Order: sequence, then C-alpha cells, then structure tokens
Amino acid sequence: MTSVDSLKKKVALVTGGARGIGEAIVKRLASQGAKVYFTYQSSAEKAQALVRSFEKTGNVIALPCDVRKSENVESVVDQVLEAEPTLDILVNNAGIIRDGLFLALSEEDWQEVMATNLGGVIHFSKNVLRQMIMQGGGRIINISSIVGELGGVGQANYAASKAAVNALTKSLAAEYAAKNITVNAIAPGMVETEMTSAVRSAFGDKIKERIPAGSYGQPEEIAAVAAFLASEESRYITGQVITIDGGLSLLSRR
Amino acid sequence: MYEKNDIIKSVTTIIAQALRADEKKITLQSSLIKDLGAESIDFLDIVFRLEKTFKIKIPKGELFPEKLLTDARFVKDGKITEAGIEELKSKIPSANWQDFSKNPLVSNLGEVFTVGMIVDYLYEKLAVANK
Repeated sequence: MTSVDSLKKKVALVTGGARGIGEAIVKRLASQGAKVYFTYQSSAEKAQALVRSFEKTGNVIALPCDVRKSENVESVVDQVLEAEPTLDILVNNAGIIRDGLFLALSEEDWQEVMATNLGGVIHFSKNVLRQMIMQGGGRIINISSIVGELGGVGQANYAASKAAVNALTKSLAAEYAAKNITVNAIAPGMVETEMTSAVRSAFGDKIKERIPAGSYGQPEEIAAVAAFLASEESRYITGQVITIDGGLSLLSRR
Repeated sequence: MYEKNDIIKSVTTIIAQALRADEKKITLQSSLIKDLGAESIDFLDIVFRLEKTFKIKIPKGELFPEKLLTDARFVKDGKITEAGIEELKSKIPSANWQDFSKNPLVSNLGEVFTVGMIVDYLYEKLAVANK
C-alpha cells in the first residue's frame, strides 16, 4: 500500500493543498508516484515551497484558485486536463472555519463557510466528474469533519457545511458507482494544523482529555487514509464517511 | 463539414465506448435503453463524449429529456401527457414522436431514443453550426 510508485501514472488534484491536511495529502500522493496538482488561495509562498520540495521529480504543481467561484474552478480543471490525459483522483480538501455561537454568527460567516466548504466541493466535483465519466473511472475524496455528524458548539456553520458534504458524498457515490467512480469522505477529529491551532491553544488540555487516544491527530495520518481511498485497492468502498479521530466521537456521543 | 457517414461512424464508436458495447451490434435502429442497456448516467456520458468529439455544446434537455420525467406537468399515471409530448417535440425534434404518441407510456420512451436519432440530431446541429 505504501509502495513508492503505487500511484504511478495517476493524476491527482488536491484543493487547498498548501497547508495542513491538504499539504500532507499532496506530499503523500506525490511520494507514491502520482502527478499532483494542488490549489491554494492565500498561501502562495507555502505553495511554492511545496512545489520546490518535489523539484527532483517535478510531479507537484501549484495552481491559484478561489474554490468559491465556479468559473475559476472550471478554468483550473481545464488547465489540468489540457496538460494531462486523465484526472484520476480529486481530493476536495479546501475548507475554512468562522467559529462563533450561532446567535453571534453573521450572514457573512455563513456564506463564506458554505461557499468554501460546500460550494468548493460542488464546483470541483461537477467539473471533474465529467472527465471521470468519460475516462471510465476515478476517485473523489472529500475532507469532512466529525462535527458534520455530531454538531459542535460554536460551529453551526462549519458543522452544517460538513454535514452537507457528507450527504453530497453519499449521493454522488450512488449516482456514479456504475461508472467506476468512488466518492468517499474522511471525517477527522482534532488534527494538529493551523486551522485548529486557535481552538487548541484556547482549550488545550480540555480537548485532549476528551480524546480517548490521548493525543491530537497528525495531518499525515489523514493523508494515509486519503492515499488508500485514492488507490485501486479501495475499489469497493464508496459513499462512506471514514472517521479518524482517536475515538473522540465515541465519547461525544454520550 | 461532416458527412453523414462520418457522423454515423463517430456516434457508433462513442456509444460503444460509453456503453461498453460491441460496435458490430450497434445499428441506427438500436434502442439505447432496450437494445444497448443504457441507464440515465450513460446518457450523460454520451452527451459529454459527443460534445468533446464534435466540439459542440449540447444544452441540457436538448438531446435527452433529463428533467422531464420528474415533472408532474409532463408525466401522469405512467404516461407522458400531451404537454409533455409537445415539450419533447420542441426539445428533441429529430426523434420519432408520431409513433410514440399512439401509446405514450413512459416505459415506451426507450424505443424513441435510438442511435439513428442521435445521428439525425447531430447532422442538423452541425449543419446549423456550419452555416
């Protein structure tokens, strides 16, 4: 499964690939031999550094993209397809948080989160599925969150967007299974990234105490599952939301 | 300019690829659903391939009635209503609606969607595009 070239000749597109979980997924897929295109929005410097770190093999390419804008997404997918004969793997990872109690959330807090976390998945899936249908197969992996199922205090907008992603995942899985396309989601718990750094520093040990595994997850641990779902071996898994949370959701269900 | 024979050849290949069917078994009279086993996603697949091959844009619902079957105005008691048939005629004039309207069961709709219908549709569409 971890063999160096198990994803050789595969072309992948990862959204929000310059940082956090996305970055780990880019590295993982690229180190398994895939040609990896990734999008970034605000992290141009980090994106360039990531591309440079694969200079030797040259199989990592960065493209700026605002995933909220469908025309922007369409041109990014077109760019990839002009250069590549296939697009085998799509990882919808780009996501943001605008946390706050429901009554304190502004209209903009809702729109931004829904447009990025759900809109981005819709736009990319639409454009990439077309190609995947014609080429006779593909893998779509959506990065969701455990709060999509559990809900979360101060995260009504984020949780709602991720619940929508889960439902979208299952619907697309059912619609396109006959074309050899699998669509799955990964629902991470508390992973050590920049996105979660504020929450972790504010509530630190309190959160850790609630995680049965006793520690935060690492981006690479999410990337490993993404790579498996991207591989040929996962052919028969579709429409699933795979939780990776050190057991956190087990206790939250009490 | 496309000759009709070229269109037939390309359409046959496209349908064979989309439906993973044997090209030799595909004739102009073949029904996509009844003879070739097409399902709704396969229609999308065919449209995407036609658009790519012939470099055209096929508006939604123009070649295949994608949303008509879930519209209560157009479907009643398992039959396509008169309004539905009119809608189909206007969207997909290249199909044989005369025979269909004699017994407009939804389940008979499959007989209308033949390989020949796609060829006719393209022939007209490409002729217009080239004018």
